[in-house]
Amino acid sequence: MSSRQRVQQWATFARQWHIFDCKWQNPYESAIAIVKHLKGLHKPIYHPMNDCGDHVICINTKEIALPGNEWTKRAYFHHTGYPGGASWTLAWELHSKDPVMIMKKAIYRRLGNNLQRRYTMQRLHLFPDDNVPKELIENVTSQIRQLRVVPQRIDHIEKDVIDNYPKIMDYPTDYLPKTLK
Amino acid sequence: MNNLIKTIFQRSFALNFPFIRSITSTPANRIKQIELHQENDTLTVKGKIVDSGRESLLLPEVTECKNKGVRFCPECSLNLHLKHTDVLILSQYIRKDGCMLPRRVTGLCKRQQRKIGTLVTMAHKAGLLHGYKPSWCTKLPNQRYKHKKFNTYFFENTIKLPKAHYKQNEPCK
Repeated sequence: MSSRQRVQQWATFARQWHIFDCKWQNPYESAIAIVKHLKGLHKPIYHPMNDCGDHVICINTKEIALPGNEWTKRAYFHHTGYPGGASWTLAWELHSKDPVMIMKKAIYRRLGNNLQRRYTMQRLHLFPDDNVPKELIENVTSQIRQLRVVPQRIDHIEKDVIDNYPKIMDYPTDYLPKTLK
Repeated sequence: MNNLIKTIFQRSFALNFPFIRSITSTPANRIKQIELHQENDTLTVKGKIVDSGRESLLLPEVTECKNKGVRFCPECSLNLHLKHTDVLILSQYIRKDGCMLPRRVTGLCKRQQRKIGTLVTMAHKAGLLHGYKPSWCTKLPNQRYKHKKFNTYFFENTIKLPKAHYKQNEPCK
């Protein structure tokens, strides 16, 4: 075995560390991409009995995005086990209590019900912002591509870019702005 | 009965205050800068039409439509399908306080006016048009009330529009 093949062997069976930026990402869409890496489904050596999953660090989970009115319509169910112990928490309420929980639940649900789920979840590291401990961030070797384009706020765009952007509307000659009245 | 009172009132109003129309040689509402020139004893007052500052940056298709006297819409004329994240285009159709401009100013067809109005609302709800809002509103998008402080995105295909009543090759109305 040449030295190149030996390194390839190490790289194949070593656990990789991926990073995923959750900014403006739908947790349920991004769970599909994250779970693929957590389980090791992207590797040619994948087998359900083969423990080849990778670590994933999710940052900025505080800034996930949900479509339309889902913040008020999506409810998370919990039952204490006692009579009358059922509770429904809305997504925005859960997210303001714990900014990590929605992302965690989305990935947990996506992993499917099997014996490996709890151990696979141990390889997931979630952070509400971009402050990741140094001992974790120094392992990272690859990045998972974001699924949605992060939209840009107009006050974050420079003024001369806005001014010099091509215009498709011009005011009519008899237009009177409010300030001039 | 109401109509009767109305007509009587109108008649009496017309008799007491005859309607006086001011005579102007140019449209009265144009944006004009009033310039005063004093030469000896004569004072000349000029109304100079102010440029909007957009003429040089206008797309050639827009000026073409303007010269032809045809309506210009981004979707009907350019086949440009806008999204609510295209804030650089949407901000051209709104006032400084974030309101959508009326159709007589934007010059869009009815469907496009409705659609772009909804896109502007979506962009506001997503917090993307942060600078364009009433002066008394000082909150950042992430400081808003309850669920409104969290990031939200929208699908453009959820905008409900009336059916186009014109054929595909006809110009829009």
